[in-house]
Amino acid sequence: MGPGLARLLASQPLGAAGAAIVFLLVATAVLAPWLAPHGAKEAAFAPYQPPTREFLFGTDHLGRDILSRVIWGARLSLYVGLVSVMFGITLGGIWGVVTAYFGGAADTASQRVVDVVMALPPIILALTLMAALGQSIDNVILALTILLTPTASRTLRSQALSIRESPFVEAARAVGCPHWRVIALHVLPNTLATYIVLVTVNIAYAIVVEASLSFLGLGAPPDEPSWGAMLTAGTQAIEQAPWMFLFPGLAISLTVFGLNLLGDAIRDVTDPRLRGGLG
Amino acid sequence: MSSRYIARRLLMFVPTLLGASILIFVILRLVPGDIAEILVYQSGGERSSIQETQITQIRQELGLDRPVVVQYLDWAAAAMRGDFGQSYLQRRPVTEILKERVPRSLELALLTIVIAMLWAVPLGVISAVRQNTWADYLVRVLSISGLSMPIFFTGVLMLYLLVRFFGWMPPLEFVSFTASPVENLKQLIWPALAQAFYISAPITRLTRSQLLEVIRQDYVRTARAKGLGEQRVVYRHALGNSLLPVVTFVGWWGGRLLGGIVIVEIIFSVPGMGSALATAVSQRDYPAVQAMVFVMALVFLGINLVVDFLYAWLDPRIRYA
Repeated sequence: MGPGLARLLASQPLGAAGAAIVFLLVATAVLAPWLAPHGAKEAAFAPYQPPTREFLFGTDHLGRDILSRVIWGARLSLYVGLVSVMFGITLGGIWGVVTAYFGGAADTASQRVVDVVMALPPIILALTLMAALGQSIDNVILALTILLTPTASRTLRSQALSIRESPFVEAARAVGCPHWRVIALHVLPNTLATYIVLVTVNIAYAIVVEASLSFLGLGAPPDEPSWGAMLTAGTQAIEQAPWMFLFPGLAISLTVFGLNLLGDAIRDVTDPRLRGGLG
Repeated sequence: MSSRYIARRLLMFVPTLLGASILIFVILRLVPGDIAEILVYQSGGERSSIQETQITQIRQELGLDRPVVVQYLDWAAAAMRGDFGQSYLQRRPVTEILKERVPRSLELALLTIVIAMLWAVPLGVISAVRQNTWADYLVRVLSISGLSMPIFFTGVLMLYLLVRFFGWMPPLEFVSFTASPVENLKQLIWPALAQAFYISAPITRLTRSQLLEVIRQDYVRTARAKGLGEQRVVYRHALGNSLLPVVTFVGWWGGRLLGGIVIVEIIFSVPGMGSALATAVSQRDYPAVQAMVFVMALVFLGINLVVDFLYAWLDPRIRYA
């Protein structure tokens, strides 16, 4: 371990913990076929078995191994989170920065569109979209992208607005930089910290929204190992089988916890103004 | 604040609301399987030509066979008179349902925000002023934990513990605040707490990060340099400016809260707008969904309007040129 990394770990202990959790999540998702003792949809055991050595997290109402479903669920959650956020934040970010830079009617018009989409509470919009699109994982990703794009555009636009007024942008223009160069080399890099924080935090958010939709019965199809759908089943059987509810709930909380810690640390590290002590 | 800014901002309100109502109208018309099919097929049995005729008849009665544009214009014209049509399922005016449900959800949302602000902002200040000490780490871990546990996890967990160990039962009948404030708060305090635990996390985090940013500004250094006490520097000079984004954020969260309320109301059996909306969505009760989402958008936009005015008033740089 190099001295730089050691110093980083010492200065960001929470971030390091977050990175470890996220690493664990990614490893679980990637290695799911080898880690999971049983298939996610394999209903081959006695239902409602409490945690034992054979079934560490117990079995559910259909006799499926909950540990296996939680492991496969990591893959599903991460997939939905990553794909929707990469689409949503990137599209929204470019949209926001470019319109902010040029300003004028296009900027105003695009922000009115954002207003319209953001006028609807996100879960409600997602719920209605899912009812219209039909239950599938691809549609969850589509709904999440529609949800995330305007938010990202609004956030990165407001940042680009103040960057646009900075002396270094004026200087770049004065020495004859073309607009695309100013955007690519002077404005975009300065929004990078926000972009990265938006990505890490919104992966967590996307995972939660996916689980919320599945919890309401409108997300992934019921046999998919979605942590949200597992929570719904667990809620209905909470009296006789609390483990059905507990383990997917802990899995999702731990995942979001790790992503949030990491996002926080990235924010602290990438924004030099926040380094060091007070005063 | 210039009167021109106010006028422009007010002028934006109406088109946005219109746009939102059109958006939701269009999305709802994409839904496969309409109310006519649900009403006919819910009785079960084989699909027959008699049922087909029934479906056509119901569609005609409800006006679902007309072009979407005509349906929307009809809806908008009636809505302006305060008439949101009949609920397909409850078979009574949607306005009646709204009058009954909206105040309950608004009360729950307000209670949630008050509880959340009361503990979130002071925690954020402590965390920032004592950056990188054990107090800061504790607050950060606590608030990130809060943010990490989805409402449907903490909510159900809380309900389970309340029922199991405290003999609490979800109320069978809702008691309004005007009828009995104590009974009413007894019913709403738990869902409000569950929700507040969740939303206080981002408020704490934002207060912390904003205060950290502001506390490094030159004018704060100046305040210190002229010998002001730390308390006065933080509360009089730094906090005001760092709360600006917090105000916007809470306003913005007010809208998200209306969404989260769907889940919390279902878990704690609060007969508010959220639980009514979830039922209406799954049953394709178009008029009810349309009206409820419209009201949510109206409330959300109203909050945003107030937040924007506050923002412009507090930060002259934001005002329009």
